[in-house]
Amino acid sequence: MHSALREQFVCTVLGNVPLCREHYRLVLGLREFPATDPGQFIQIAGRDLDIDYNPEREIDWEPGRAPDVRGKELMTPLAMLRRPFSLAGRRDTPDGVELDIIHRVVGVATEWMSRLNVGDAVHILGPLGNRFHLPAPEGLAILVGGGVGIPPMLYLAERLAGQEGVAFCGALTRDLLPLTILAGGRSPGIDSFEPVANIGEFAKHGIASVITTDDGSYGFRGFVTQALERYLDGLGLRVQDSGKRGEGDLKSQISDFKASQTTSAASSPSVLSPQSSVLRPSSVLPTLYTCGPEPMMKRVADIASARGLPCQIAVERAMACGMGTCQSCCIRVRKPVDSVPLKGRDWAYRLACTDGPVFMGSDLLW
Amino acid sequence: MPDLSVNLAGLRLANPTLTCSGTCGYAFEYADFMDLSRLGAFVTKSITREERAGNEPARIVETRAGMLNAIGLANVGLERFLNEKVPLLRQMPCPVIVNVAGHSFDDYVETCGAMEGLDCVAGVELNVSCPNVKDGLTFGTHPGRLKELTAQVKKVLPSKPLIVKLSPNVEDVTVTARATVEGGADALSLVNTFTAMAIDIHKRRPRLANVTGGLSGPAIKPIAIHMVSRVYRAVAKSAGVPIVGMGGVQVWQDAVEFMLAGATAVAVGTALFVDPASPNKICDGLAAYMKKQGVEKLSDLVGSLELPGDQPKTSPYP
Ligand SMILES: Cc1cc2nc3c(=O)[nH]c(=O)nc-3n(C[C@H](O)[C@H](O)[C@H](O)COP(=O)(O)OP(=O)(O)OC[C@H]3O[C@@H](n4cnc5c(N)ncnc54)[C@H](O)[C@@H]3O)c2cc1C
Ligand SMILES: Cc1cc2nc3c(=O)[nH]c(=O)nc-3n(C[C@H](O)[C@H](O)[C@H](O)COP(=O)(O)O)c2cc1C
Ligand code: FES
Repeated sequence: MHSALREQFVCTVLGNVPLCREHYRLVLGLREFPATDPGQFIQIAGRDLDIDYNPEREIDWEPGRAPDVRGKELMTPLAMLRRPFSLAGRRDTPDGVELDIIHRVVGVATEWMSRLNVGDAVHILGPLGNRFHLPAPEGLAILVGGGVGIPPMLYLAERLAGQEGVAFCGALTRDLLPLTILAGGRSPGIDSFEPVANIGEFAKHGIASVITTDDGSYGFRGFVTQALERYLDGLGLRVQDSGKRGEGDLKSQISDFKASQTTSAASSPSVLSPQSSVLRPSSVLPTLYTCGPEPMMKRVADIASARGLPCQIAVERAMACGMGTCQSCCIRVRKPVDSVPLKGRDWAYRLACTDGPVFMGSDLLW
Repeated sequence: MPDLSVNLAGLRLANPTLTCSGTCGYAFEYADFMDLSRLGAFVTKSITREERAGNEPARIVETRAGMLNAIGLANVGLERFLNEKVPLLRQMPCPVIVNVAGHSFDDYVETCGAMEGLDCVAGVELNVSCPNVKDGLTFGTHPGRLKELTAQVKKVLPSKPLIVKLSPNVEDVTVTARATVEGGADALSLVNTFTAMAIDIHKRRPRLANVTGGLSGPAIKPIAIHMVSRVYRAVAKSAGVPIVGMGGVQVWQDAVEFMLAGATAVAVGTALFVDPASPNKICDGLAAYMKKQGVEKLSDLVGSLELPGDQPKTSPYP
């Protein structure tokens, strides 16, 4: 019922580098950390719990000096609750474990995180949540990340190594893309939705990608979902009249997803070949994986369902605990078949922190 | 190890730390993160007669040194509680107190009546003060109704201690405390959350879908301490009714403060979200404090705060 696989840990900052405007990659080192999978997240304390929760430690004050009302003493707000962050990558080394977090500075906790220095202590709790279910070995994975939804896609790409995948990454504008855009990768045309090897983090796992910006400052001009639709049309995966096609596959993939408790081990990484953007037709339907702003994810879910494609969505909700106790992170799902009937309702709330964050697009009512 | 045990209306608790309802799930949610066997008692999420889906999100928002919640009593309801949660509660390594909420006298009486026969339930806490639910009668701010409710529930719950959880959203908390004691409450717990609001200034709309929510966390602690102190002195002490103090408890120092003000036990709520092990750490801190202060029994601390104008308990001069 409760595996002692989750705990509180104190990590050491191994690196904290700006990636682009407002985005940082924070590398956290710790001696050991339970097994994790893409889609899972950790709760990070936006303050040093050892120092800030110790009322015996008093702020130095010399008589005659007025308290600093703009500084740490009175005005600097610190986050009280922890904040959830997706794992963006993980490396197990002889010295321990390194966890990658990519975050965008939007408020008190992320601002505090952006100021961390190498060697600082960071209190984390996890790993939390369920995970993405990897596609069948011969199935194509289509990763769709928008803004701060890109980090979990990077971890997923790490695990997909060797499997066929293609990534779509979108942002408002080029300098909000927390990605390594390969030097040789001149911007493709503003209407190009052909996946190419232009994002370092994906290319090293043999995954070609399409970059979109709302303002056209790099790559496809428009929403990532527009590029995705055109790409799927190009693969012959068109909108269906009745949604009949592929329904059997969809059902079996969904039940695979729900039943599966094991992870397929990452196979050997393959070198990106120029052909990797050319997709071989396969009997297995591609699976869509997405994380990003909610309107984007809803659109991806619609695009997938119109074409009868399975779609796994990592949702983000405001979370206080991340452990299934506060009931703050609820999201509406179609009423599960096995659930107790609730008077007059054909939906139920599920918790994004423990039932999710990954849900099947076809289950979500948002 | 000094004696941390306390007597809460006949319940022998190994130590004074409880969990706050609604911040710790139904049973084993925190099992990976804390030692449940070292809790004085575990208090469940509020249970209502019917299952409740709760409010629309956004249900929480953080504010300075606190948070607002408007969960709306989302819970599995009595039937599923009995079928799904009670088997888990039977395995809990500490005493279990079930928190019960309702919208009518009948709701409370039926749900509490169902607890009377359950061996795994050591006591019941009545939530009469959820500020985030709009339907049904309000009990928490209405002394007459509160007294009647306490009396009706006590009738169906003769063998178990009944704790009534008071709302701080009243003009004078000693009035509702007194009504509850007159109705037959075995213990009081205070405080529940303070009705509050936060506004998104960019979107110019409330930050919670429910508009208002309950404020909890360190921000409310000084007010909670004051309320415990007042209720202890005006009502509880003379009636011999113990108090469970709560509101912003994070560390052992907070627990000592509540106990000096008159609380027999303390409950940890919002702080569990940040550090689920905090009740365990509070016990360690209390033990060290007792050693340092030469306190043999923790219960000697309860209400020992002397205020100006009090009769000195012991005079230093013979
Ligand atoms: C499962 C999960 C995984 C996440 N993974 C990442 C990640 O990998 N990288 C990353 O940068 N962020 C991620 N987030 C979002 C991240 O948790 C928030 O950005 C963070 O809580 C902001 O904290 P803050 O104190 O800096 O901002 P706050 O001061 O708390 O908020 C600042 C502003 O951001 C908004 N905001 C806060 N939380 C969220 C949220 N969850 N979604 C949308 N808006 C929010 C607030 O409404 C407010 O307007 C994730 C969230 C969840 C639930
Ligand atoms: C998310 C959340 C949910 C809560 N749910 C309940 C509840 O169901 N029943 C109840 O009696 N109190 C509930 N409370 C109130 C707490 O039990 C407690 O009285 C209050 O939060 C003050 O303590 P704290 O500052 O330590 O959190 C809830 C509080 C929070 C933060
Ligand atoms: S974040 Fe608390 S229940 Fe999900």
